[in-house]
Amino acid sequence: MANISIRNVHKSYGAVEVLKPFSLEINEGEFIVLVGPSGCGKSTMLKILAGLEPASGGEIFLGEREVTDLAPGDRDIAMVFQNYALYPHLTVRQNIGFGLKMRGMPAAEIETRVAEVARTLEVEKYLDRRPKDLSGGQRQRVALGRAIVRQPQAFLMDEPLSNLDAKLRVHMRAEIGALHQRIGVTTVYVTHDQIEAMTMADRVVIMRDGVIQQIADPDTLFQRPDNLFVAGFIGSPGMNFLSAEVERDGGRAWIDVFGNRIEVDEARLAGASAVIAGIRPEHLKLGAGPASFQVRPSLVESLGSEKYVYFDGGPHTVAREDGEEDKSKGLIARLSHTGHMSEQDKLELSFDPSDLYLFDAKTEKALR
Amino acid sequence: MKRTPMQSLVLYGTVILLAALILFPVYWLLVTALSTSADLSQLPPSFWPENAQWQVFAKVWEERPIPTWLANSMLAAIGSVALSMVVSVMAGYALSRFSIRGGHSLGLFILTAKMLPATLLVIPLFSIFRSFGMIGSLWTLVIAHSTLIIPFTTWMLKGYFDTIPRELEQAAMVDGCSPMGAMLRVVLPVATPGLAATALYAFVLSWADYAYARTFLINAQGSWTANLGITTMRGEYTTDWNEISAAAVFVAVPIILIYLFLERYLVGGLTAGAEK
Repeated sequence: MANISIRNVHKSYGAVEVLKPFSLEINEGEFIVLVGPSGCGKSTMLKILAGLEPASGGEIFLGEREVTDLAPGDRDIAMVFQNYALYPHLTVRQNIGFGLKMRGMPAAEIETRVAEVARTLEVEKYLDRRPKDLSGGQRQRVALGRAIVRQPQAFLMDEPLSNLDAKLRVHMRAEIGALHQRIGVTTVYVTHDQIEAMTMADRVVIMRDGVIQQIADPDTLFQRPDNLFVAGFIGSPGMNFLSAEVERDGGRAWIDVFGNRIEVDEARLAGASAVIAGIRPEHLKLGAGPASFQVRPSLVESLGSEKYVYFDGGPHTVAREDGEEDKSKGLIARLSHTGHMSEQDKLELSFDPSDLYLFDAKTEKALR
Repeated sequence: MKRTPMQSLVLYGTVILLAALILFPVYWLLVTALSTSADLSQLPPSFWPENAQWQVFAKVWEERPIPTWLANSMLAAIGSVALSMVVSVMAGYALSRFSIRGGHSLGLFILTAKMLPATLLVIPLFSIFRSFGMIGSLWTLVIAHSTLIIPFTTWMLKGYFDTIPRELEQAAMVDGCSPMGAMLRVVLPVATPGLAATALYAFVLSWADYAYARTFLINAQGSWTANLGITTMRGEYTTDWNEISAAAVFVAVPIILIYLFLERYLVGGLTAGAEK
């Protein structure tokens, strides 16, 4: 296993730059997740790392070795594909051993290594079957087996769980996590699912339109998002946003959030005249509090121990980019409440102003 | 969805009718071969001769150079298939996988070549072959047939390669294959049904040709293919239709056998399980 150093790698197709200069130092044994919406450049970056796409510029080092212009097979990396890409004409045994065979390993050693990996991933029973005779989860395991049997310097995984059903996805997520703990190989994992990113990563790289938005561990991303996009992308349900004009008087500043005049530290505002205030759904409480407001829910979803209450935030509501579905339902409060609640009820909600996130309305950068 | 009895009746009725339409000429060829000249001229025609002349097959086989004609046809067809498949696998793969400037137009242009009738190409081909002194050789027929076959098989294979996920080659390359190695070790084995269907198409096209064989081989009796040979069985004043039909049955048998052999490859499904 090795560290990976990505230095100013960029990619253009003609005049279209799909990946802006991208630099990232990945430590030995680290689990890095690249996450972002479709078309953000995360899969392109992974393919460049694998050598399946040439970079338009920049350098990639695997350990001390520069691999920028090496063929995929010469990089000593393994990749797990979204659609598994198992060779349909080969048995599971041949699929797992294919990479070793290509590297000229003696048949006896291939057999030993394949058996060992098959035991680890619990696919020994299926070694003589073809991929079409396996279930989705079994295919996924075989794809993982094909990657780990080579004992590569790094694993690249391109949305490997997105074809599995929800239950199996949670299971395989845990398995991949456990596998990484056990073998400790440097891993770059691409997904558009922020829950996968948050649960699996040592560090998450959030991307948008080919640009890195923030690189941080999951807790930091959640608690200290660098900009409006990250704040809206991380967290489920996503953060609520409201636009607000800054009122200034006598060296003090206020913003209006849900009809509450909230004082904001002038130093934090950095001269901004308009801000976007963000509040996480779980920071909204039922009943009166430091800052309260009344809403009539447009929809109440009960999850048993808690309720998702959707409501109209008024003309100041700012829609999140990724939340087409949520946009139609307005803002959302995630309330710990087991009693009855319906769309007819008028609710009093409250929040603590210290839980507010502020973003510059023009630059969308976080104001802290 | 469960079919109603009426739907089943219409469906099976249509299938039986179509099968009868397709099989009737084959059946009639056999009836003609087994009938005497008198049987053939009677009205209304008999649907099975009273005294089937099975010995006609042995007679034709002995009296006419059927084995030579069949061997020549086989040689021309195998040569055409081999040449066409090598060229069209490469071309189809390139058109499917590489974004070449004008690649789409090139693909359409290749297909346009297929739209030209064989009779239109026969004159320029004759002129070219004559200037190279190639008239009368079976190899000439192989090249001529390939000019007809390659455009369509290239297009067929491009379509087939398009259905094979690129990730298979990418996985093979990450596993240590070169791009060519990925094609040979992964794509071609996966494409077996497509390759078999394409090869069969190429074989039939070559096997069924008459116009090119007639033009390029008429003066080279030793190189006559079966189709060309059979036409020479027609006499100036009388024609033994039963003998011609018996020879035609010999020509049809290899194609039927090849279909039976390749049938399992022609039914797709090998790619199942590659993904998802």
